[in-house]
Amino acid sequence: MMDEPENTDPLTAYFDAGKAARPEPGDALMARIMADADRVQAERAKAPAAVSAPERRGWPVRLAQALGGWPAMAGLAAATVAGLWIGVSAPAGLTGMAQEVIAGSEAAYLIDLDPDATFMLADGGM
Amino acid sequence: MPLDDQSSAPDEALLVLYANGDAVAARVLTARLVPRVLAQAQRLLGNRAEAEDVAQEAMLRLWRIAPEWRQGEAKVTTWLYRVTANLCTDRFRKARGVGLDEAPEPEDERPGPAEGLQERARADALQDALDKLPDRQREAVILRHIEELGNPEIAEIMEISVEAVESLVARGKRALAAELSARRDDLGYTDDG
Repeated sequence: MMDEPENTDPLTAYFDAGKAARPEPGDALMARIMADADRVQAERAKAPAAVSAPERRGWPVRLAQALGGWPAMAGLAAATVAGLWIGVSAPAGLTGMAQEVIAGSEAAYLIDLDPDATFMLADGGM
Repeated sequence: MPLDDQSSAPDEALLVLYANGDAVAARVLTARLVPRVLAQAQRLLGNRAEAEDVAQEAMLRLWRIAPEWRQGEAKVTTWLYRVTANLCTDRFRKARGVGLDEAPEPEDERPGPAEGLQERARADALQDALDKLPDRQREAVILRHIEELGNPEIAEIMEISVEAVESLVARGKRALAAELSARRDDLGYTDDG
């Protein structure tokens, strides 16, 4: 094994001296800093924690919060629009499938079905 | 929590205690962190009074950020080194506006090269040479060779890559060596002692 050359960096002695001459904080500085710490802590203790002002917001905001915030509201709005669209322009396949289910081989499903609804489905009005 | 129990607690835990109103945590943190902050500031600025102002301001920012401190995101010391360096940089910029000639001269009460005083002379020579380095090189060299931090932590403090730290340290040391070798004869000693 080769011997490591001992301390070939000419700066090492300077860095060692620099480390040894580390400036130490005086009492006055430490006292100022601790006074700051106490003041900041006291100010925080005095300040009312997260002021929850009485609700003066409009009902849409309160509703949105109750339902889980605006992301939840966006999902709800999307579902509403989709439902409306399906209602307004029902795809032909949907009516056909409903008729198949109600009037076709799945007769057992008719037991609890409103007779008017069956008539409307057969008539294509639903 | 008594002082003795807190003296071994990590900085981050003490900061949370402080934010929750603990009266002792700030004392432990002050005793632990201020010497480092002051040393870094004084070496970066080369001026005691300004370094004390920077140390107080850096610690004030720590007290203020305590309630928002997120455990595990960064070490308190890393954050403080960064804040301290930035505060020093701000002062450099203002000082440059005033003019370098008006910067306070280092006190010229350097002892002669007598035995036993050589350490002090070396420390002063090092500080003078550090003062002449570009800001970022000075910061990197101080953190690496005087504060003895690892390159990854220095990279985090300076918000640069590890390779960039290595480059800054290498260039800084070359410039320091050149500056100090020019002074060596004046100091009357060699590097073997």
